[in-house]
Amino acid sequence: MDMSTLLIYGLSLAAIYGLMAIGISLLWSSIGMINMAHGASFAVAGYAAFSVAELAKPLILATLGKSFAGTVAMAGLCLSAGALTGAMMGALIYLLAFLPIHDKPNFAVRSLIVTLAINLATVQLLLWFFGPKQRNLPKIFGLGKVEFLGLSARYDQIGTILGTAVILGLLLFWLKVSRKGLEIRAMMQNPEGAVLSGISVRWTALPVTMLTGALAGLAAVLLSQSIFVSPTSGAMPLIKGLTISLLGGLGSVPGAVFGAVIIGFLEAVIGAVPWLGQRYVLFGTFLFIIAVLVIRPRGIGGLLDKARK
Amino acid sequence: MVDVLKIEGLTAGYGPLRVLHDISFKVAEGERVGLVGLNGHGKTTLFRAVSSQVGWQSGSILLMGNEVGGTRSTGPGRRTPAIVRAGLAMAPQGDAIFPGLTVAQHLDCGAYTPEAWRERKRRREMVFDIFPPLRKLEHALVGRLSGGERRMVSVGRALMVEARLYLIDEPSLGLAPKISASVIEALFSLPKDGRAMVIAEQNVALLSGRVDRMVGMHAGRLRGDVGHVSLH
Amino acid sequence: MTDTRIPGKTYYEIGQRPQEITLKVDGAKPLHRHRLPFTRRHLLKWRSRLNPKTLRQERMLADKKPLWWTLALGLLLVSAPFLSNSALTVAAVFCMFSAINVLWTLIIGTAGIFSLATLAVVGVGAYASAALNVYLGLPWPLMFVAGGVAGLVMGALLALPSTRLDGLYYALLTMGVAEICRVFVQQLKPLTPMNGSINNVQGFIPADWALQRPGLLLGFAGAFVLLLLALLTFRIVNSERLGMLLQTAREEEAYAEAIGIDYRRARMQVFLISSAGLGVTGAFYAQYFGSISPQVFSLDQLMVLFAMIVIGGLGRAEGAVIGTALVVLIDKGLLDLGPLRILLVAAIMLAVTLTTNNGLTGIREQFRGFRRRRQSEARARRTEKGGEVMPEEAIDINDKQAIYYRRFDKRLRDRLKALVTPDVIEEHRQKPLGQHSDALSRLLNYFRRGEVADKYAIIRQAGNFHSYKIVAFSGVRGAPPRLVDDRIYTDINEAYHAVFLLRVNDLMES
Repeated sequence: MDMSTLLIYGLSLAAIYGLMAIGISLLWSSIGMINMAHGASFAVAGYAAFSVAELAKPLILATLGKSFAGTVAMAGLCLSAGALTGAMMGALIYLLAFLPIHDKPNFAVRSLIVTLAINLATVQLLLWFFGPKQRNLPKIFGLGKVEFLGLSARYDQIGTILGTAVILGLLLFWLKVSRKGLEIRAMMQNPEGAVLSGISVRWTALPVTMLTGALAGLAAVLLSQSIFVSPTSGAMPLIKGLTISLLGGLGSVPGAVFGAVIIGFLEAVIGAVPWLGQRYVLFGTFLFIIAVLVIRPRGIGGLLDKARK
Repeated sequence: MVDVLKIEGLTAGYGPLRVLHDISFKVAEGERVGLVGLNGHGKTTLFRAVSSQVGWQSGSILLMGNEVGGTRSTGPGRRTPAIVRAGLAMAPQGDAIFPGLTVAQHLDCGAYTPEAWRERKRRREMVFDIFPPLRKLEHALVGRLSGGERRMVSVGRALMVEARLYLIDEPSLGLAPKISASVIEALFSLPKDGRAMVIAEQNVALLSGRVDRMVGMHAGRLRGDVGHVSLH
Repeated sequence: MTDTRIPGKTYYEIGQRPQEITLKVDGAKPLHRHRLPFTRRHLLKWRSRLNPKTLRQERMLADKKPLWWTLALGLLLVSAPFLSNSALTVAAVFCMFSAINVLWTLIIGTAGIFSLATLAVVGVGAYASAALNVYLGLPWPLMFVAGGVAGLVMGALLALPSTRLDGLYYALLTMGVAEICRVFVQQLKPLTPMNGSINNVQGFIPADWALQRPGLLLGFAGAFVLLLLALLTFRIVNSERLGMLLQTAREEEAYAEAIGIDYRRARMQVFLISSAGLGVTGAFYAQYFGSISPQVFSLDQLMVLFAMIVIGGLGRAEGAVIGTALVVLIDKGLLDLGPLRILLVAAIMLAVTLTTNNGLTGIREQFRGFRRRRQSEARARRTEKGGEVMPEEAIDINDKQAIYYRRFDKRLRDRLKALVTPDVIEEHRQKPLGQHSDALSRLLNYFRRGEVADKYAIIRQAGNFHSYKIVAFSGVRGAPPRLVDDRIYTDINEAYHAVFLLRVNDLMES
């Protein structure tokens, strides 16, 4: 593999991992919940996009045909179906894992357990309804390659990278300038001060969970361009997302972006080195993350280092 | 004149401990009330009961005529945002501040109504006029400020919206006398129009002569006006 | 002693635990308590106390858990020979998983390390011992040693980052460890030719007994012994020196460190001990099934195991066992339900976590806490300061004299309150000292008799003769009186009257 392929591959991995990791990190930083059902959101959104695509395929073929407009319509449908389902999963997680226990003792551990249970149940339900067979999403970015400045990249890779960059840019911008973004940061740092500033923890948490769910849904549609949708397809992105958000320092959004880029490239590089190969990718990245965390327990971001308590 | 705050028969506490005993208390519009009393006699608990943050409470609390009290034994803090939005601004004891935010962001947090959020720049300027030392710290992290500056930020946050009732808890606690005097000075320089303010303070000398009325608090009961011991 | 109850009269049981079973103590016999041989431990925790109501010495069991343990485990053991073959397998699997969960509880509960790499340690122990057995012909008793050593090594590797990382960080990290192990084992082609699994492991069950009745019985017996050993390890580690040290450290780490408890070291020791135990369990696992596959490292398996300890209650051995029993029964016992089983487990997990603070075994404590909170809140609402004693408070007060005094005092105050009129106050203002009317004399007499704590006094200001302030006594010898307010009185009669008004205020408000 030459450098350009490596670069594009690494970036596309980074984009998808980033989407997952930011969802997990954001949820932890705002409401102090580790969402183990993030993988479930991912899988459900993948299936939803698949079902919508199956339903809409004859319709789109009939009206638009195999044109550019047809591909765009399909892409829009898949992405919005994924995002919407993800958001709905987020709302479900809010209703089950946040609302009933958010002011009870042991919230962090209990919400982790509840989201684990949701994950377990969702995977089983998916197995029940769809069976263990792997499904294929339509190629929403079309098939083909593009040569650009000596770099060669597939359409779906470019689509993933650009799409993620746009989504993340919008998200970061929204977090920076909107009142909700400020509320999210305030809530994490001092819940008591937040309620005295008229910030309702319950009403700020709902948009956050829905947003992170939608991010997982988008990641599912984007990642399913290169892998298949299956009931357990959420497990790997979940573990990757978790470890990357750990690497970035739980709760730090820039840290998560940075961590995703590092891990994406690391995976690409390990996969490309002849005497390591694809099978040592996971091994290598985990060792790297463990090494970083042992040296810097708060990860790359280290939200709490900035200010004195 | 409307009563901004009207408390009747308020009893509150934490777990088995009953801190407030059947308190009745009124604050009229435009009034500035000093709440004095020693440590541990329930001043902070009274404020926390008004903002629904104690362990349990019962009794009626009317804020601008709206009932925000009632009997409650679980979920402290759950109703607080709604009460705050009903017109309460509270600067709690110590600093309920967000160490990772800048002074400007911190002040913005206080602007919870859409209007206040839209004109937050102007309101920040207003707070900076009241607390001039904050102006040059606008983009500094709150966690790095000194105690007095933090207190100013904490009080300033409460001033970002036009609340009807200001509860300021111990503005002088842990501050050098000169700084605490300047904080108090700034508080009293606020216009009186339609808003009421209750300041809890241990240091009676800081308040005397400046407030309209001083109420003593002793062992969870109000003690009428200090210096005029009487039978109600 | 004779029963003093009057026949025909209805008596009501009162007190916190009227149903408590107590034994009578024969005062003539010398007290003799059995100790466990070679230790200073007692088998059961007997406590004697004097019942203040019957004035009899009685003896009760302060900790009834050993009885329940014996009963439950005994029932399992006795019923085992009568179980069907499939039920026997379920029972053996239950014992094995219980052993794993009890050791895991040691890590999570006692050591306070939130590790999710338990199955990774079990798997490593199983793989190491199975590989040694299959390729090098290691006899089965030594497999346990090999598994234990492998578990210890794995534990040591896992323990390294735990000193640096926070609870949840570490938990999430260890989740990845199992995944690493799975991939790693599948890559080891020479060792694991069959897609990562090792088959034909020779174990303590002879090969020709495999899947036969005697083999199943032997397998169950082995699993039962394993569970007993795990429980013994739990008991020794959790309630002896290491456990005590860690219990101190759990509340306040800095404090524990300040009084010289090296809690990090204790944690590591517990972690290593239970890792070795998990390795031994792994060796047993490989022997019982005769094979080991990468399935042991899968995330789903870990989640089911986690569901067990969560449902039972984190940090308690009985929680681990009860949770395991429930989940194993559903997962392995109700095979007809198909995928519904896992849904059922997830639903139970959800319900238990949402409603209880700490699993099924924590319900009792949670309910007691809830009841205590409600009782004390209600009591706090009703009890006036210095008022009459409430019935539920009365059973907490040992000195019954105090109850009667408070009742008397309350009535007296009620009567005196009626005497306070503007006339009386005016009379006192006019003439604080001297001959008074009947009502005022009664009031003043009551005030004079008041307790010293919080009693008001007049203090003359130093350097200025006619300048007085009002103070209140602390009631504690050596603790100075506190100032009531800053007001300075220049006339002693005015000060007398102020004190009188303060007292009247207190009386009216009580």
